[in-house]
Order: sequence, then structure tokens, then C-alpha cells
Amino acid sequence: MALIVAGLSHHTAPIEVREQVAIAAHETPRVLEELAQTTGASELALLSTCNRTELYVVEGDAAATPGIWAHLSHRLGGGADAAAYGYVRRDREAAAHLYRVASGLDSMILGEAQIQGQVRDAWEASRSTSRAILNRLFQSSLLVASRVRTETAVGRGAASVSSAAVQLAKKIFGSLTGRRAMVLGAGDMAELALQCLVGEGVRTAIVANRTHERAVTLAERHGAQALRYDDCWPRLADVDVLLCSTASPHTIVARAQVEPAMRQRGDRPLCILDIALPRDVADDVGTLDNVFLYDLDDLRSVVATNLERRRQELPTAESVIAEEVELYWQWVAGLAAVPVLRTFRSQMNQVREDELARALKKLAHLAPDDRAAVDLFSRALMNKFLHEPSVRLRAASANGHGLALVDALRYLFALEPADGDAQPEDVPESESR
Amino acid sequence: MIALAHAVAIVLYLAAAGLAAIPFARPIRAPVRSVVWVLAAGIAIHAVALVQFVRIHNEPPLTGLGPAMSFAAVLVAITLLTVEALAREVSLTLFAAPLAALLTGFASLVGMVPGPEANGMRGVWLTSHIALSFLGIAAFATAAGAGVMYLVERRELKSHRFGAIFRFFPPLETLDRVNHVAVVAGWLALTVGIGLASSYALEYRTGHAIKMVWAYSAWLAVTALTIGRVVRGWCAHRAAMLTNVLFAGVVVLYIAFRVIDPLKGRFL
Repeated sequence: MALIVAGLSHHTAPIEVREQVAIAAHETPRVLEELAQTTGASELALLSTCNRTELYVVEGDAAATPGIWAHLSHRLGGGADAAAYGYVRRDREAAAHLYRVASGLDSMILGEAQIQGQVRDAWEASRSTSRAILNRLFQSSLLVASRVRTETAVGRGAASVSSAAVQLAKKIFGSLTGRRAMVLGAGDMAELALQCLVGEGVRTAIVANRTHERAVTLAERHGAQALRYDDCWPRLADVDVLLCSTASPHTIVARAQVEPAMRQRGDRPLCILDIALPRDVADDVGTLDNVFLYDLDDLRSVVATNLERRRQELPTAESVIAEEVELYWQWVAGLAAVPVLRTFRSQMNQVREDELARALKKLAHLAPDDRAAVDLFSRALMNKFLHEPSVRLRAASANGHGLALVDALRYLFALEPADGDAQPEDVPESESR
Repeated sequence: MIALAHAVAIVLYLAAAGLAAIPFARPIRAPVRSVVWVLAAGIAIHAVALVQFVRIHNEPPLTGLGPAMSFAAVLVAITLLTVEALAREVSLTLFAAPLAALLTGFASLVGMVPGPEANGMRGVWLTSHIALSFLGIAAFATAAGAGVMYLVERRELKSHRFGAIFRFFPPLETLDRVNHVAVVAGWLALTVGIGLASSYALEYRTGHAIKMVWAYSAWLAVTALTIGRVVRGWCAHRAAMLTNVLFAGVVVLYIAFRVIDPLKGRFL
């Protein structure tokens, strides 16, 4: 038995290749059925997102990778070889790979959380072809991902400019629910930021733009209120967050406009997020008491700091993963070792009995006590021979190094599982962790 | 026994502050539950010390410098624990837990010796006044702690520094709310406490001029803040700044009066 993962990701393949081999959710059952037949794999699971297409396989008697690459190359078309863009990981490395993927350590944005849900969906979609080993792998990967997120900071802090803007505003106001925001500008960046603010529960959003029609369109899309640009200043005293994202070549928010509004606001703070380039807000506005002014560089600095913090957490996250891989692999190795050991001993005992019967036929003159002594001797000899290998195999299984030995034992002694021995497929799911 | 319990309580208060400071060493969230439990354990041990004091001296730990300091410390810790349990926010521990430890340590140093006893109705009157006054001062200290944190975080945000304070201090709004609630609670407790003290002084023709001047100064400071916050709408930067200035003034006045008071034993 070998656990492998074969596939390609944003690390190894450009987007043109990834979009060709990506497998849509509705195709998954058919593709898995096809691959199960062509590769002879005993278990299969497919994880396909915009950044990766990977197949997790428990191999049967034959190697599964040629069938996988053939399928992916066929999807790629034009006679291209998908293997050239891909990778294969085996056994522990395969388990560690899925744990890293589920934890967001292999993602394009380090620590992103969306992948955890995608791994869960992939597992659900592959339930028809996954059994105990892959079920346990996927289930434990979700637990590992939660552990990594709880015990480390790889998923903490904003990782995009718009979420950094929200993070800064929340640092001042706590929750944004019920707050008022005004957006100057109606471009794509303004819309993205407005979407984030509305998503955080901002109660009243006002969009002001020089072209009133664009402001109306954007406001209608997000349940906001549109204002003419020249009418927005008297409303400044009522808002908590001012977001500026116009295409103006010079500053449009000056101290003279903000100062009267701040006097009306009393001690209440105002957060100004200037995501325009060139900047919309004059520098000296930030020196006003209770005004917190941030520009694009500040937001990028927040993102960079967060990502650096996430990177610093990688060794801790990797140690969590290594620990969990060992636990998983002990389980896998134990699963394989017990039935093989039982078959091994049973087969050796059969050999002993056959040889003993043959020998006793030639020693018919022996008294019953002597025959019993010979029987005892044969048992003792067999037990002596089998004791050390059994102990070592159990020990190797316990520390996660037993799988190769189990395969070797099976091969050397031509062992077939005895009737009634537990197979991976028989392990109830409740035992899967 | 009392000294040992005080020592354990000090260690637990400092341990709670240490746990709350973990985010400054590693980029993970503070272990809220652990901080709350360690602080609660400190309060429990501290309470054992105070109960033991009551058993030995047969009076509450409110008179005498040592007992009063110890009582004030446990009130600071209880106020802190209440705020933390309600807000699920433990960064205030960084300031308030060492303050509780400092007061407890000071109580141990000067000794747990009770002051002059007052029995019957006079005793209840006196006890209520002292307990409420300490509660008021503890709430004022909490407001000042929140105010210090507000000013530190505001400075970081205004100067665009996104380091450990940015990541692990609560939002400015939360600190402002803690300051508001603590100021109002402190004013209520101090008003009743000082009202009881004034009526006690009138009834029994007793009083200590310096103590009364200090108590009225503290009450005036908290009253000014409460009026400012509730009536005039002070909040945010102004409220934090004034809370700290007035609290520092009250502390300085206390130290000055302690130094010049000829009857030190009667003034806490």
C-alpha cells in the first residue's frame, strides 16, 4: 500500500495550465470513477481549486501515477505532458502536503482560510471513492488546519489592502456595525472598499462623485445613498469613516474642509482612508486632533507586516504538521501491520504443522510422550524464530516506520490476508480519530 | 498564614500580567481563559488572607494602613476580573494586575495591623464608608489604566506604527467605553462613601482635616470627569487625557499629605 498525491499547483504551473486541468465540481464523480478503473487505485480523492488540481491516491497493486498524468495530460490537450508541470509526493510527504494545503501554508496568500472549506468540499465530493485511509487523512487535515490556526498566527491580520482598511477602521471603532461611512469616488477600488464596509455592517454609506450618475449606480448596487460631490462636505460631520478613492490629479480634501466638521463632531474620532493615487487628502489633515489618516502606503505596510508575521509563524506551523503526520502515519502503519502479522504467524504455523506431521509419520515408533516433546520443540522453535521479527515489526509500526517492512514481509513470504483479518475498508469511521 | 497567602496572591497577579503580555513576545492572542483563571485564583488566595485577618482580629480589614491597602488591592483585582470576564479582553491586566500586586506587597511590608476599632452602628457606618471609598478609588484607577492604554494606542495609530500594540491592544472605542463605565461607577461609589464619611464626622464630631481634604479632592476629580463625560459629552482623547491628569493629581496629593500629615497612622 502506498499513499501518494499527484497534481499541479500555482507553485509549478502557470494559470493557463491550471485552468485547463481544473476539474469542476460536477465532473468530480465521473473523473474519480474513471481514474479508479484506469489506475486500479483502492482509494481516490480529488482536490481542485483555482490554484491546484491534486489527486490523493491509495495505490492498489499497480502504480497509479501514469494513469493520473495521462488523464491530466488529456485535459491539457495539444499533446502536452501534465507531468512536466506537476509533482508527486509519497506516504508521509503526501500526508504532510495535504496538511500544509489545508492549513493555508501552500496557498498563494499564506494562511488564507478559504482553502480549509475547499478541502472539506473535496473530501465530501470524493466520498464514493475514499475509504478509511483517505477519510482519516482528510478528516485529520481539517483538524490540523484548525490547530495551526489556533496555535499560530499564520491566519491572522489582513492580507489585502481593502481588508487592511477595514482592520484599521475597526482598531478605532471596534465593530463597524451601525457606523456611518462616506466614499469619495466611484471607481473599482471605491466599490471594493464600499463592499467591505457594507459587509462589516456599516449602517449608512454615502457615495459622492463628480459624475453623479456613476455615484447613483454604485450606491444602488450596495444599498448606499448617492450625493453630488459638492454637497458632501456638510455631511462629513456625521460620518465615522471617510474613504477616498477618486482619480483626481490633486488633493480634494483639505484641512479647511475637515476642521469645521471635526468641531461639530466634538471628541468623536474620524478615520480617513485615502486609497487614491495620487492622494486625495492633504497631509496636514492628519495632524488634526481625533483624525486618523491613512494612505495606500500605510495600508500596504499593514498588509506587509501581517504577512511577515505569518511567515515568522511557519516553523511553529510546520512543527504542528510534523507532529500530526507522525500520529497519522502510526495509525496507517498499525492498520497494515496487525493483519499481516496475524497472517504471517498463521502461515508459519501451517508450515510447522505440515512438516511436523510429515516427520512424525517417519517416526511412528515414538512413544506419545516423545511425540508431544517433538511437537513442543517445533512450537518453541517457531516461536523463537518469529519472536524477534514480530517484536520489531510492532515497534516499527508504533513509531511510524512499519509500512515498508509490512510490504517487504508480504512480498518475501507471499502473504495474503487471512479471512477475518481487519482491512482498512472495515475500520469504522468513528475510529478515524 | 496571611503573609504567605499575600505572597502567593502577588505571584498569581504578576503571573496573570505575564500571561496577558504573551502577545508581545509571540504573535498569538492572549490566553484570555488562563489570564482570567490565574487572576481569579489570586483573588481567591487573597480573600483567604483577608478572611484569616477577620478571624484573628474580629474586624474587617478596613482600618489600619496594611489591611486597607490589602483590601484596596483585592478590589482592584475584582474590578479587573469583572471587566475581563464581561469584555473577554485582558490587556487591562498589564496595568491593573501589577497595581494589585504592588498594593498587596505594600500591605505585607507595612504589616497587617488593624486601626482603632469602632463597634456597633458606628462600625457598620465606618466599614461601609471605607469599602465604598476603596471601590470608588479602584474604579478610578481602572479608568486611568484604560486611559493610559488609550493614549499609548492612539499615539501608535497617529504615527502609523503597526507593531505589537496595534495588533494586541483592544480598539480605542473599547478602551473609551471602559473608561466611561469606570468613571461613572467610581463616582457613584465615592459619592456614597464620602457622603457616609461626612455624615459620620458630623454625627460623632470626629474628623481628620487632611484626610477629608484628600477625599473631597478625589471626589471632585471624579465628579468633574463624570460631568464632563455624561453631560458635556467628553470622550476619546480628551477623556483619557483628563482621567490620567486628575488621577495622577489625586495620587500626588495623597503622597504629599502622607508626608506632611503629623497623624500618619490615621490617614491611609
